[in-house]
Amino acid sequence: MQNIRNFSIIAHIDHGKSTLADRIIQECGSVSAREMTAQMMDTMEIEQERGITIKAQSVRLSYVKDGQPYILNLIDTPGHVDFSYEVSKSLASSDGALLIVDAAQGVEAQTLANVYLAMENNLEIIPVINKIDLPAAEPERVAEEIESSIGIDATDALLISAKTGIGIRALLDAIVERIPAPVGDPEAPTKAIIYDSWFDPYLGAVGLVRVFDGAISKGQQVKLMANGEVHQVLDLMYPHPLHRQKTTIINSGEIGIVIMGLKDVGSIKVGDTITDAKRPTAEPVGSYEPAKAFVFAGLYPIDTDKFEDMRDALDKLRLNDSSLSYEPETSIALGFGFRVGFLGMLHMEVVKERLEREYDLDLIATAPSVVYHVTLTNGEEVKVQNPSEMPEPNYITKIEEPYVKATVITPTDYLGNIITLLTNKRGMQLKMDYLNEKRVLLEYSIPLNEIVVDFYDTLKSTSKGYASFDYEASGYQEGDLVKLDVRVAGDIVDALSIIVPRSQSEQRGRALVSNMKELIPRQLFEVAVQASVGNKIIARETVKSMGKNVTAKCYGGDITRKRKLLEKQKAGKKRMKAIGKVNLPQEAFLSVLKMD
Amino acid sequence: MLLYLHIPFCDSKCSYCAFNSYTHLHHRRARYMTQIVEQFLHDVEELQLPKAIFRTLFIGGGTPSTVDAALYERFFEVVRPYLAHDAEITTEANPNSATLTWLAQMRVLGVNRLSLGAQSFDEGKLTWLHRAHASHHIDEAVHAAYSAGIRNISIDLIYGTALDTPALLERDIERAFVLPISHLSAYALTIEEHTPFAATPQVARESLEMTQKLFEAIDAHGFAQYEISNFGTPSRHNLGYWEYAPYLGIGAGAVGRIAEHRRYTHTDVDAYIADPLYRTLEHLSPSDMRIEKILLGLRSRVGVDTALISDTSRIDALIEEGLAFVENNRLYAKSYLLADEIALFLE
Repeated sequence: MQNIRNFSIIAHIDHGKSTLADRIIQECGSVSAREMTAQMMDTMEIEQERGITIKAQSVRLSYVKDGQPYILNLIDTPGHVDFSYEVSKSLASSDGALLIVDAAQGVEAQTLANVYLAMENNLEIIPVINKIDLPAAEPERVAEEIESSIGIDATDALLISAKTGIGIRALLDAIVERIPAPVGDPEAPTKAIIYDSWFDPYLGAVGLVRVFDGAISKGQQVKLMANGEVHQVLDLMYPHPLHRQKTTIINSGEIGIVIMGLKDVGSIKVGDTITDAKRPTAEPVGSYEPAKAFVFAGLYPIDTDKFEDMRDALDKLRLNDSSLSYEPETSIALGFGFRVGFLGMLHMEVVKERLEREYDLDLIATAPSVVYHVTLTNGEEVKVQNPSEMPEPNYITKIEEPYVKATVITPTDYLGNIITLLTNKRGMQLKMDYLNEKRVLLEYSIPLNEIVVDFYDTLKSTSKGYASFDYEASGYQEGDLVKLDVRVAGDIVDALSIIVPRSQSEQRGRALVSNMKELIPRQLFEVAVQASVGNKIIARETVKSMGKNVTAKCYGGDITRKRKLLEKQKAGKKRMKAIGKVNLPQEAFLSVLKMD
Repeated sequence: MLLYLHIPFCDSKCSYCAFNSYTHLHHRRARYMTQIVEQFLHDVEELQLPKAIFRTLFIGGGTPSTVDAALYERFFEVVRPYLAHDAEITTEANPNSATLTWLAQMRVLGVNRLSLGAQSFDEGKLTWLHRAHASHHIDEAVHAAYSAGIRNISIDLIYGTALDTPALLERDIERAFVLPISHLSAYALTIEEHTPFAATPQVARESLEMTQKLFEAIDAHGFAQYEISNFGTPSRHNLGYWEYAPYLGIGAGAVGRIAEHRRYTHTDVDAYIADPLYRTLEHLSPSDMRIEKILLGLRSRVGVDTALISDTSRIDALIEEGLAFVENNRLYAKSYLLADEIALFLE
């Protein structure tokens, strides 16, 4: 155990975490140069495309220092706020963390949140300044920023370039020297935390664990403490992105993959503790919390025949993502679909993209919504996660909405614009700290609903991409909110209803209908597009009727071609949703999302 | 049944033309004209067609007037027994090659209707369209046809071009109605692939307002619109297509439809000459034929049998919005300009 080091890497997106992980793997000789593909730690296609880590990966490496062999266990963490629960469990499995900061960019908001988590877990933190080969690198300023924003000593910060390999040896030596060896009682009852789980097509649902006390052996009967299930350990492996290595035992202080022949990840949940079935440990490792959906949206197949396919696809995705929750939902406008709960905005995008790409579905997503706590006049309290299900105003005593504490770090150049943005989004300033003369940290209390729609993109464009952002839930507050409906040709399009502050309802309604007017193609008929609150119409636009759709010539030789052309146009219309006699393109639904 | 003969030869290729036509194959004409006879005789026998079955013959192109009338003699000889006694026999022609001699000879062979590719009377527009004629050729050709005894005369005009102005279109209409015509076709310029205009699609520019004014101007001269592009005394042949009558196609690239089969010959002139009996068949499903009947019926005064439309609420919606009407169980589009959109709505 003395020669084991368990460590995580904490970094903002783009600060080079995956590149560094790959470099460390290569430096330890664990993967040959030929096997190296770009970013081997991000294995999902979407991860590689977006340069983010969604599923945590881990790797067990060998390293020799001063003639002594060491086992280095690199515990990767998801790099996004949506997956902070997983991050916390990865950190709880580590004894130290590398804090990677880009030498040109400095500390970012998401880095902060994860560093605080690491500090709560009493991890040894090694500050590492990466990309020092860049012309714009300012390692001294960044070291200063680490000290002022996080309050840790950065005088011993390591200067590296994961890209060129500068400083990697020194970094590995520092890991051995500065990160403590794991502590644990090898004789005590088995006690291990599941810090990641996934579905493997050959092995079933498997768990990645850190053993604290005792050991896990092949053949052992183990108990999952949160749900009480008992299973036999069928196989054990040390993790590696290319060649996993089988073993018969995972000892105290080690990490490994546990295979128990389970069918879905629902029974091997991240955060749960594994112990011996006959001689259980007294206390689990930390507290287990089931993943809680934060944001909800309706997802509907454009082709209504695909509802069952979509159910199958969701069932399959859940095998690998126990945080995904969904239930069937019906919309007058969109037909049959699902109301799906997500951990956050990125999670929603990733799920939608995977459904479309991996299961070949065309989907319409409604505007994401938060969960409102509504108190009715009869004293009953209901939770509303679909705006179209908001009760009529005369039955409502009060509506409460979820708030978050948002952290933004920005260069001072964009401070004015960002404060304006946050204020427009109903944000209340809690804190404004200058990290140095060039960068500012802002903390705001802001309704979650204001950031689920388009906030991140706006923040990025407002700051030319330099501002970073993170948030955490901070409870419910009462709001003066109303349901804004959209009517097309007189009918309410239930899928387009949104909850807005009463003071903004007229402005939002006007923007919405004028936006939709541009996106609804001319139809055979004149179409009225209206916004209403209750029975009151607050905005109206008219989509003029179409003037012409016919080709000049159609004689004997043209008829087949003509028919095929019509069938093609028909297929194009089928991609739209028919609301009564009006065909609405998907963009019209999405326009509700982009409204500033 | 309708009979169509395709003549794939032209003097020049117009900027907008996507038809099967060739400007450099004049030496093949004689051989071609004997091969169409072969095909006709073969098809008639294969299909066991009775005498006098064809109520119309339409000679289109290409430019039929680029082929000497004498070369048509043998064709008419074999076709004549299969033509109804009152058959409408139309030939297309271009103003520069439709001479009095040619027209008179064709009249003798039986032609009783002329469709003349005038396109415009505006010299600038004719040059821009790469037409081989000047406006005076149109007047001369129409008068020549009349003198030759052809009294059913149609001219084609083209609109929806970047050159159009309300005044230009108005002048074209006025000039057309000075002539002894019984029919007029007005086509919106359509940019087709593989034509010179395909590189500059902006040359097609249609204003709905101008189009409607054009239609009104033609109507004011007493020519009723009976299809999106056709006005006046209807062409029985073309009306036959929209009524979904069966038709036989003779010549290179000529298309026919007999019952549920659409028939295609070789498009290439040399390939056709080598094997005029070659054909490919396209099978039309009942649903294909239903869609075709709907789209053809809505673009013309033929209308659509309401029994073909399953969702009758859609018919009600069209009537309610004033876009269509029903008479004797047939649905008619009020404006042919929306024919395709209405067909899509009904599908």
